[in-house]
Amino acid sequence: MSASGERKVSASLGRSVRGTTPRLADLASTPETPRTPTLGRSVSSLFGSPGGSFRTEDEYVVIEVGSRYLRGGFPGESTPRCTLPYDPENQRRVGDYRQWDPDYAQKRRRPKKGQEWGQEYELYRMDLTKVDLRVVEDKFERMMREVYNKYFVLDTKPRRILLALPPKMPHPLMSTLLDVLFGSFQAPSITLMSSPILSTVAAGLRSALVVDIGWAETLVTAVYEFREVHEQRTVRAGRLLSEEMAKVLNAAQVEQLGYVEDDDTSFEEAEEVLSRVAWCKPKPRSNRRTLYFPARTSPILEEFEDAVETPEPTVTIPFPKASPPAEVTIPFATLAKPAEAALFATETALSEFDDHELPLHHLIYRALLSLPVDVRRVCMSRIVITGGVSAMPGLKSRILAELEALVQTKGWDPVRNYGTASARHEQILRQKMEALELRKQEGEDKVPESLDPDNPLPAAHRPQDVWHHEAGVEREKTRAGPPPESLVGGVVRGVETLGPWAGASLVAQQRIRGIVEIDRERYLQHGLQGASKDKEVSVVPQRQSMGPGVRGGAGDRASWTLGVWA
Amino acid sequence: MAQAFPYTYYACNCFDSNTSGKRAAAVLQEAADEDEGTFDPRSPRANYQLYPLEHLLYCEDCQQIRCPRCQIEETLNWYCPSCLFEVPSSVVKSDGNRCNRSCFSCPLCTSPMQTFSLDPTGESGPPFILECQYCRWSTVEIGIEFEKGQGISAQLARIGNGGKPLPSHKERDKERERRKELEARKRDGRELFSPSTETTHTDKDEGPPSHDDLFASLSAFYKSQVESQTSASPFSSHDINFSSPSAYSRIMNLYSTSGPKKKQRPKPTAMREAASALEGLTLHDPSADTAAIERLKRDGWASTISPAQKRAQPNPSVRFTSDLRPLATLLCTKRSKRCRSCRQILTKPEAKITSTRYKIKLLALNHIPRLSIRALASDTPVPGSSRPPAKVFDYNALKPGIPTHFLFHMSNPLFDPIKVTLATPSTTPGKVQSRVTILCPQFDVGANTDIWDDALNMPAKRGSLLSDQAPQIEAGKIWDRGRNWTSVAVEIVPGFLDESARVEAETPGRGGPLEEDDDVLEIPVFVRIEYEADTGADERGLVDSKGGKGEKEKREEAFWTVVGVGRIKGS
Repeated sequence: MSASGERKVSASLGRSVRGTTPRLADLASTPETPRTPTLGRSVSSLFGSPGGSFRTEDEYVVIEVGSRYLRGGFPGESTPRCTLPYDPENQRRVGDYRQWDPDYAQKRRRPKKGQEWGQEYELYRMDLTKVDLRVVEDKFERMMREVYNKYFVLDTKPRRILLALPPKMPHPLMSTLLDVLFGSFQAPSITLMSSPILSTVAAGLRSALVVDIGWAETLVTAVYEFREVHEQRTVRAGRLLSEEMAKVLNAAQVEQLGYVEDDDTSFEEAEEVLSRVAWCKPKPRSNRRTLYFPARTSPILEEFEDAVETPEPTVTIPFPKASPPAEVTIPFATLAKPAEAALFATETALSEFDDHELPLHHLIYRALLSLPVDVRRVCMSRIVITGGVSAMPGLKSRILAELEALVQTKGWDPVRNYGTASARHEQILRQKMEALELRKQEGEDKVPESLDPDNPLPAAHRPQDVWHHEAGVEREKTRAGPPPESLVGGVVRGVETLGPWAGASLVAQQRIRGIVEIDRERYLQHGLQGASKDKEVSVVPQRQSMGPGVRGGAGDRASWTLGVWA
Repeated sequence: MAQAFPYTYYACNCFDSNTSGKRAAAVLQEAADEDEGTFDPRSPRANYQLYPLEHLLYCEDCQQIRCPRCQIEETLNWYCPSCLFEVPSSVVKSDGNRCNRSCFSCPLCTSPMQTFSLDPTGESGPPFILECQYCRWSTVEIGIEFEKGQGISAQLARIGNGGKPLPSHKERDKERERRKELEARKRDGRELFSPSTETTHTDKDEGPPSHDDLFASLSAFYKSQVESQTSASPFSSHDINFSSPSAYSRIMNLYSTSGPKKKQRPKPTAMREAASALEGLTLHDPSADTAAIERLKRDGWASTISPAQKRAQPNPSVRFTSDLRPLATLLCTKRSKRCRSCRQILTKPEAKITSTRYKIKLLALNHIPRLSIRALASDTPVPGSSRPPAKVFDYNALKPGIPTHFLFHMSNPLFDPIKVTLATPSTTPGKVQSRVTILCPQFDVGANTDIWDDALNMPAKRGSLLSDQAPQIEAGKIWDRGRNWTSVAVEIVPGFLDESARVEAETPGRGGPLEEDDDVLEIPVFVRIEYEADTGADERGLVDSKGGKGEKEKREEAFWTVVGVGRIKGS
């Protein structure tokens, strides 16, 4: 990425954080002759009374709404004040205290008939045909009341809300959430930010490939200069994982305790095991499905890997709610199986997958593949894995390793099958691989960027090389510019993030104004239909009437937009 | 449900008004509901609409029940429930919502922790620890000891797990600056060296930066980026301070044609991303993953913490018991409540923390008649059973298919007599269909007059006004009545539990196998009351001056209640 290109992109940024950062140089140079500057109302408020309202208006609360958890807190804090699950226990009638009844607490909760795995534990799902929005509203309202009254314990001053949402959401669902926040919690305005962008912010990046392994689906979003440029999803995520874990646990219980009818592992138990002891195996060294170098890896290594530790490590998992309460000892290796089956599906051939259930590494690879070359170069070295499941030990390393392997074997060639020409293609690839191996053996002192071999390449590779050259020149030129680390590209690299909530907290702390800012009055009048502006709105013209930290209120805007959510 | 049988829940009206005219789908759904016309205590929404009468307030201006959802709450003051220390609002703002003295709760079992001295001499000298009185978890397990017995939270903020000191925010910032400078100098000295290798060197000494460290670095990085963008302009964010001299220069700048703004300002440099760990960039490190896996393998289940414990931690991304931190007690608040529609204050507690009294308290309990149910067990015919009649009626084992008599008992807290109309669907909604007949759905209830009237007038029979005749179960007649209460008989035929499979076959979607609480017999009852209230009593100021006292005004209340009768016994 050249510096000039960066500037050009950022100048027209829509919902980017960087774009919204007010650049007031524009402001001062506007009037050419001495006259009263034609500044907007918001600035007149700046010159008007600097009263108390000026500061208080700035106060935000930061809320992240996911399908399983709600996080709320204040800007500038590193962690949310509360992380609340949409637990069925929280959804009981007032005065129903059975969850504290020892008899009740010892029983396993059986899933309700006709409900999918864990459905009671969700706030919403994207398929609205199966969701009663009024129940969603009730749930959300009750939860928000708890957040405000128990954790925020604010004074009565209304606060603006920075709401982190997934980038795609059905409008009825959004308006349900907004109804509650505007109606019951009197927010003067709500700023919507999409969670991949916030994850990017919380990683310290401006462009990234955000892999959000959430509950219902894994969402791979390519973010370039704080703008979503591409998106892919798969259902291989938390729910599937949790179901797989329940299967594993059920099998272990049946094996060790015998079969008890109607005493399957409950959702909570599966979740608990998942969050406590589940792990993910590192990438197996000899991949059976790797076509290109069958016997390259040394057999000794392989043996070492497969060597069974004696005694085999096990984990004893208590099931106090089973009838009778029991402990089950499970081999440690078994606890890695759910991740294997649910997220990577190593047993299944790639051709068997439907579009919505690609394994994670293939999904990421495809997302990268469909990006423009320069964006891909930036994104592939900024892979940010986040979401609830990503906390599983070993998972991030595994995903990155798998991706690395995919990139190495396939290159950036969108053609998956060359048909009759495949023999030749394979030969080229093999040459490439060998060259690569050779280089590796030659020495590690090469900068990773030079990994790209110069020998015959698929066409998709060439522009990158040209680019590298340019980058070098550019770097010479802008020595005073960004440090070289922020220009790294072309290698698979994982970057840690603090998560969308922390990102939202950072954004709100810097008083950066979002693109999607919904004003209470306008929303109450028109609802989401009031968003009359185009999706691709730019902040540039508006900058002239905005100062940093000066909030004239979103009411100044003649119209507002829904941005990504439009 | 988990309340002891029998119980009564009241539905707040706000739900109907709340959703009216919202979304097409919802409206359609609502229309369908209205056709049915009855309140379904089993719908998922019912959990949010039903409240015990004690939890409800009453707005006298709107003359409506107010549930927590149609109230606005205002915090009056903050206090720690553990040490009962009032926390001023400024401290809440700056230090957060937790007690900043010595109140902590156990991260494992949430019970309160106490400070103990580990002094071997027996005197209470240092070192001190926090210990949970219930599960015996103590800060020794995470390697933390305190020097003083007071101000634990201040001390804890400075000690990390394992006893190593945690830097404060300021120290952190200073340290970061120092290291940045160091790095910059190094880079200048040896240009070809990429700084990333160096930073990893320095990082290796201290392990990966903590969540807080990272956040602070990121925050500082973004701040510097935003500043570098705006500082050149006269409108930079610092200058928006009306007492500062820069305000003047800014205004001068605006109106002057000459000056610095005339010359082309250099384009601001593009913002960049974080480039080093000091700026908050952390690259993925597979060794951390491997270490976590090894540790899981070694220590197993017991070394990990449960999801609930994890969520309660200040940093919810921890995984092992050694990462636990004692939890400072969440502050509680005293709140006054206002009606959402008219803003009238409904409750206002006394400001003093230790006082439990209220200055204003408009309870629904004092405005809404209480409906309760109890079994008329003594003379229920139980064929084929030689049960002694004195035996306590078992609400948890209603006999399916056998008509059982219950009493609806309506007591009136108002100072005016009321006319009551009860309505209920003849079969209860839900999978198990029970038949319900209220024998006398319309009746009067006397006013809530002086209690002593009651005692003086009717000494013979406890409260009953119908002492001359024996109560009887007869359609159209009340069972019994007292000073401000009336009871009517109701006949209930509990449904058969195993019948629901048959219902399923007839009307798909209604029956099906039983689940939790399907065997609970709950009757939705629509209550409508009419009474003539003294207008003067409520709107004193206005009406008094007109001298219109004594004028009566007809009032009406209507609401749904759900009466939980009991649990039907399986056959």
